[in-house]
Amino acid sequence: MTAPIAANIRSLTLALAIAFLVTSVGVSYWTILASDQLANDPFNPRLIAASNDRPRGAILDRNGAPLATTEKGASGFVRSYKDQSLAQVVGYASLQFGLSGVEAAYAESLIGQDPADPISIWRARYLGERQAAGSVVLGIDEKIQKAAVEALGGRRGAIVAVDPRSGAMLASVSVPSFDPNEVVDLQRQQAAMDKLNNAPEHPLLNRAAQGQYPPGSTFKVVTASAALESGFDPTKKLRVDDPYQADRSWGDYFVRSASHAHGLFDMSDGFRLSENIYFAQVGLQIGGGKLAEYAKRFGIGTAPKLDLPAAKGQLSGSGLLDRPTLVADTSYGQGELLVSPLQMALIYATIANGGVMPTPHYATGVRDAEGHVVRQVAPGAQGQVISANTAKTLTTMLVGAVAGPGAFAFGAKVPGVDVAGKTGTAETRPGEAPHGWFVGFAPAEAPTVVVAVIVENAAEGGVTAAPLGAQVMRAALGK
Amino acid sequence: MNKSQGAALPASPPRWGLGGIAARSRFTELSLLVWVGLLAVFGFIAVVGAETSSFGSASIVVPAIFIVLVLSLHVFLIARRFRGDQVLMPIAAGFTAIGLVLVQRLASDLLLQQLSWTIIAGGAFAATILIPRDLTALARFKWTWAFLGVLLLVAPLFPIIGREINGARIWVKVGPGSIEPWEAVKLLLVIFFAAYLEEYREVLSRSQRRIGPFPIPPIPYLVPIVAMWGIAMLVMIFEKDIGATALFFGIFLAMLFLATGEGFYAVLGLALLLVGGFVAYQLFGHVQVRVDTWLRPFDEDLRFGSGYQLVQGLYALANGGLFGAGLGNGMPDRIPVVWSDFVFDAFAEETGFAGALALLTLYLLFLYRGMVIALRAPTTFLQLLAAGLSFIIALQTLVIVGGNARLIPLTGITLPFVAYGGSSLVTNWMLVALLLRVSEVSNRMREGP
Amino acid sequence: MEITFAVLLWGVRIAFLVVLYLFVIRSFGALQRALGSEMAVAARPLGIAFLVVQRSVRGAPRVGDRLPLRAVNAIGRDAGNDLVINDEAASARHALVEFADGEWWVEDAGSTNGTLVNGETVRSRERLQYGDELGIGRVALRLEQ
Repeated sequence: MTAPIAANIRSLTLALAIAFLVTSVGVSYWTILASDQLANDPFNPRLIAASNDRPRGAILDRNGAPLATTEKGASGFVRSYKDQSLAQVVGYASLQFGLSGVEAAYAESLIGQDPADPISIWRARYLGERQAAGSVVLGIDEKIQKAAVEALGGRRGAIVAVDPRSGAMLASVSVPSFDPNEVVDLQRQQAAMDKLNNAPEHPLLNRAAQGQYPPGSTFKVVTASAALESGFDPTKKLRVDDPYQADRSWGDYFVRSASHAHGLFDMSDGFRLSENIYFAQVGLQIGGGKLAEYAKRFGIGTAPKLDLPAAKGQLSGSGLLDRPTLVADTSYGQGELLVSPLQMALIYATIANGGVMPTPHYATGVRDAEGHVVRQVAPGAQGQVISANTAKTLTTMLVGAVAGPGAFAFGAKVPGVDVAGKTGTAETRPGEAPHGWFVGFAPAEAPTVVVAVIVENAAEGGVTAAPLGAQVMRAALGK
Repeated sequence: MNKSQGAALPASPPRWGLGGIAARSRFTELSLLVWVGLLAVFGFIAVVGAETSSFGSASIVVPAIFIVLVLSLHVFLIARRFRGDQVLMPIAAGFTAIGLVLVQRLASDLLLQQLSWTIIAGGAFAATILIPRDLTALARFKWTWAFLGVLLLVAPLFPIIGREINGARIWVKVGPGSIEPWEAVKLLLVIFFAAYLEEYREVLSRSQRRIGPFPIPPIPYLVPIVAMWGIAMLVMIFEKDIGATALFFGIFLAMLFLATGEGFYAVLGLALLLVGGFVAYQLFGHVQVRVDTWLRPFDEDLRFGSGYQLVQGLYALANGGLFGAGLGNGMPDRIPVVWSDFVFDAFAEETGFAGALALLTLYLLFLYRGMVIALRAPTTFLQLLAAGLSFIIALQTLVIVGGNARLIPLTGITLPFVAYGGSSLVTNWMLVALLLRVSEVSNRMREGP
Repeated sequence: MEITFAVLLWGVRIAFLVVLYLFVIRSFGALQRALGSEMAVAARPLGIAFLVVQRSVRGAPRVGDRLPLRAVNAIGRDAGNDLVINDEAASARHALVEFADGEWWVEDAGSTNGTLVNGETVRSRERLQYGDELGIGRVALRLEQ
């Protein structure tokens, strides 16, 4: 007996109707649910549309000097970038490749539709009128930036300078860099982009905020903070004998002292002579849990709230410090630690700022076409990470780390100024030269600038980095 | 055996006439066409207005021509005392109007071409209303259609007349332009399947032998139909058109299910499709690209390459929101080849989810009406024919909208009536004419002379 | 772009969406009405044939009754049928009698005891000539003009 076709027709129609329903839901996902996320995607050409028919807003440095401008060319408007050293920070605006850096983060402001000015958005959408775009002002100080560029020179690495009171980024250098003008040049852009994408040294990466490295001895301030706030007495002397092992269960693993020390060390000595074994013992005494807690408080493992993308770093592969050897290793800045130069700068900025961590930001404000301020970018502080007392104690010890007898960071001295800082020589892969770090701030009694320097694979480690830090700080302090 | 080739249809009064008495009024159709006209006019004014920043009289010219064309078809049906359905033609006209507005918006240099094709489609519609005089004659020549279908499918592979465009060798040069013969083949295929299945429906669904719940189909009867389908699939694979392949496969399954009611065939078919798809993914580069693009379009290595079109399409959808950016106000032109592959996304960008939903609902209404016509058809052949034809439109719509909204991988199929494309417009209007004719047969049957 | 033009342009855009929705709604309404009238037409007795009851049981239509036929007639015990045959031997949905292609057809709708035409079980869909006797359960009906 054959079933009537009518029933089959009905079932098929029902199946199709359900398919239509599912399709409508799918469409609603893209038009309504995911709409905002896609609308702000830096590759969405609608955010760059303005550059076709009207000039895009300018990006300026702290003093109004132009970093990115739009000029009228033969075939429409052309974006022009003035400072190659800020290529990763300022970014590029390309219809083909999308937006990056400040061009992306402040895309709406640069097409005259800053969120703080809803009327301009309304006019653009409904009347098709686009405001003449104003400008985005960055906190970058030309003087300091230049000094940082000269200091780092051709060495691979990064330098950041931050104002610890406000969090404004005063300088940001990431080497190797690239020429963003090539990326927006219609003739050369494809070749340029292919080269940049394939380059093994990743010039597009903003090492200042997104490079991740083991911190080396610069991390010791975190161990010290954890210890001080747990009641540890910094004046108590600990016995240091190179090499060090807590007990037999460590097997072949030993903590080594950079100066093959044998003697009694207190915390000031530990900083001044960058004594790994001292800090390893401190770490073991306070315990992995406490150390992990303070690392987290200082923002390791969380991306800083920067207006550009920033790396989050890591405390360890698992996020915990569960083995005594790992605790020891991490206490003096190795282990499985990874941090970005920005994160280190923020840690020291916290110390410089009485224990309060500032929120970093590249831009300081948005202006309209007439120069009036549309919006201030000043996110404020993030909260008290350590007590003001701890910060003061650490500052004193960091001053000693630069100026004290035999101080490893002697290269960072600036005549007439008390500089607080720490070098680091971070071991990387076996067979590779270590990274050289210096992080510090000045003047120690009322800091106005924090500098973090990292030189990748520097033969002499921190000793190479320290003078670069001094160079930048001198420029910042006008010396 | 059961063949519903019954006695001659009841005689009817003179078929031609003009003037109120002899003609048969189609008031519903007219009242719906008024809305279509308004749609065309408003659409053009908005698009041209946005482009030229003024309300020029030029924007009325094309809608006027379109309205005249559509009204002539309406008058033609009246004069012919046509008794078929009155809703399908206006819906098709509505789609076509939206299509013209979108061509003006997205590729105005192609407008003249699309308008010409629309007029040709109107002519094809009228021709299909008139010939063949008896629909059931279609069933008698099923093997002719099968042969013709294969011929048309294979034509693009021939050296002189065939042409490869955008990696797919599915075009045939015709004078100044080119056509896609596979569009006509889909009609021929449905007619062939409907006729064949009507004849052998009993045999195919009589499950004499079963293994558990699974029927063993009588192989000899299945062979011709599977062979016909297999040829179509192979040709499509050679011509690198996965969209048409998927469509033919879907039609085959649907017709088989309609005729036999065996859900098992549908399930088996879907399983085969997935297996075939998997094999195709492994073997064919172009299939791999499509699937990868569907799965990870935003990935760095794909978003500027093969995924660029889809990603731009999704940006367009996002810009649409609920009520759209406004006709003429979005940026759908960033999508490559938007006028044929991604019209849906362009429409959704400018009229929002509201507009997109209305459009989808219209396609659903078209399907609904087509299926009701199928249900009411007096003979099995006509039932299968109407259902198959409606299914084609529904499947095409689902596949292309699904691809545009990243629910399934993109194929080469375009949105029926709305997307730019001459051959598809002509064959789809012929499809509408066929549906109307089936409905007329039912009406004459039920209403009596 | 001056304000009046912008406002008018937006007006046209909104009008487009409104017209689109009205078109969809009108089409749906037209479809429903067409369906309604088609059902009504189908329900109208054709007036060209009747099923005359030849044999019956208690509760079913009486012998001699002339049952008017529509274009499509569902026959069975169920109250929703066009022709209700109240016989236990009849299934809820027993048979379908239809006028198509200028002829009358009978089709078994999946009954337990089968449908008979002139004593022979109907296998699928068969012609019903005038004068043929249709057997539904224990009730016999004859097709007459």
